[in-house]
Amino acid sequence: MIETVKKNKINIITIIVYGVVFLYNKDLFYRGLSNSWGFIREMIEILPAVMIISGLIAVWVPKEMIVNNFGQDSGLKGKLISVFIGSVSAGPIYAAFPFAQTLLTKGASIGNIVIIISSWAVMKIPMLIVEVKFLGLPFAASRYILTMPGIIFLGYLVNKLVHREDVLKKTELNLNEIIRIEEILPGYNCGACGYKNCREYAAAIYNKNAENDLCQPGDSQVVKELKGIQL
Amino acid sequence: MEKGGFMNTVILLSVSVLAVGISYYKDEMKTKKSLMMAKGMFLNTAGSIIGILMLIGLMLAIIPPEVIKDLLGNSSLFLSGLYGAVIGAITIIPAFIAFPLAASLFESGANLVGIAAFITTLTMVGVATLPIEIEHFGKKFAFIRNALSFVLALLIALGMVIIL
Repeated sequence: MIETVKKNKINIITIIVYGVVFLYNKDLFYRGLSNSWGFIREMIEILPAVMIISGLIAVWVPKEMIVNNFGQDSGLKGKLISVFIGSVSAGPIYAAFPFAQTLLTKGASIGNIVIIISSWAVMKIPMLIVEVKFLGLPFAASRYILTMPGIIFLGYLVNKLVHREDVLKKTELNLNEIIRIEEILPGYNCGACGYKNCREYAAAIYNKNAENDLCQPGDSQVVKELKGIQL
Repeated sequence: MEKGGFMNTVILLSVSVLAVGISYYKDEMKTKKSLMMAKGMFLNTAGSIIGILMLIGLMLAIIPPEVIKDLLGNSSLFLSGLYGAVIGAITIIPAFIAFPLAASLFESGANLVGIAAFITTLTMVGVATLPIEIEHFGKKFAFIRNALSFVLALLIALGMVIIL
């Protein structure tokens, strides 16, 4: 219960704020909602496709390929590929986070992750046309010319300042372990164990909050493998 | 500009449907697993962003565009750049809305540094999306990336004044 509240803190605050606004200023309430609808529509249009592609990369692309192309020693080529990937992608910056996290757990360097996130945000080829149309070619061109080396330098700086371990605590160590547990589970997301989906159950096992024999659809083999896993 | 956004969606969806098709043809199990992962990632991201988006929507409804215009049209180049960077950092606006907005601000007196800084931090620095970034990459990464991006945005904006 406390976990649920903590996880949905911002959503609960939002509901309360909107409730208060509704009581005192209905016009503001409706204008807020109509602004939000634009954002939510953008999210629904872009996010599923980005997540599907991230999921496919996670299961198909071998780790060596990511390490070679985006790893610590990938050099300028890796940086340019990162700029390219970021700038042909569509969607707001928060869509880039899970995608970049997938690449990171597969061995991409911190610097290249920063380059992908940043160029995803500011150097969008699909958006370049819109920018030229509204702000003119000189504005758009000079912004891009300054931004590209800026982003590469930014990646270099963050790579120096943030170590892999700082980030991996959040991603690789946890996520890879949790995914390893999740892979043993049948993947029905049936909820019979009392958790929302297999991922949450796997996380609970990882954090030693749950017994490892709760999975209902899983046969004795699943339980055996779960018991055998080293945490 | 609505059309530009729509085309992106169509292209992106076609690419992902095609990729899923090929993947399914090659390996059914792997594909199912990847779709499960995608579903989990989508629900997690959507669940954590939706409240933030709605708060920003409300905030934009409260702050009239004139206020933003005044700040970005400050007579000091540096100050308007700074205001632009700050406003851009704390709001998120889809890019296809941001450019027409920037154009109208420019026409009504905002100066170039302010606009350039605004556009750059708007997309690159995300105070509102900070909780999600921390969730994925930890505090240190998120703070350093956002702080440096903010400085970079100011430098880009000032550099543009020299070029243009």
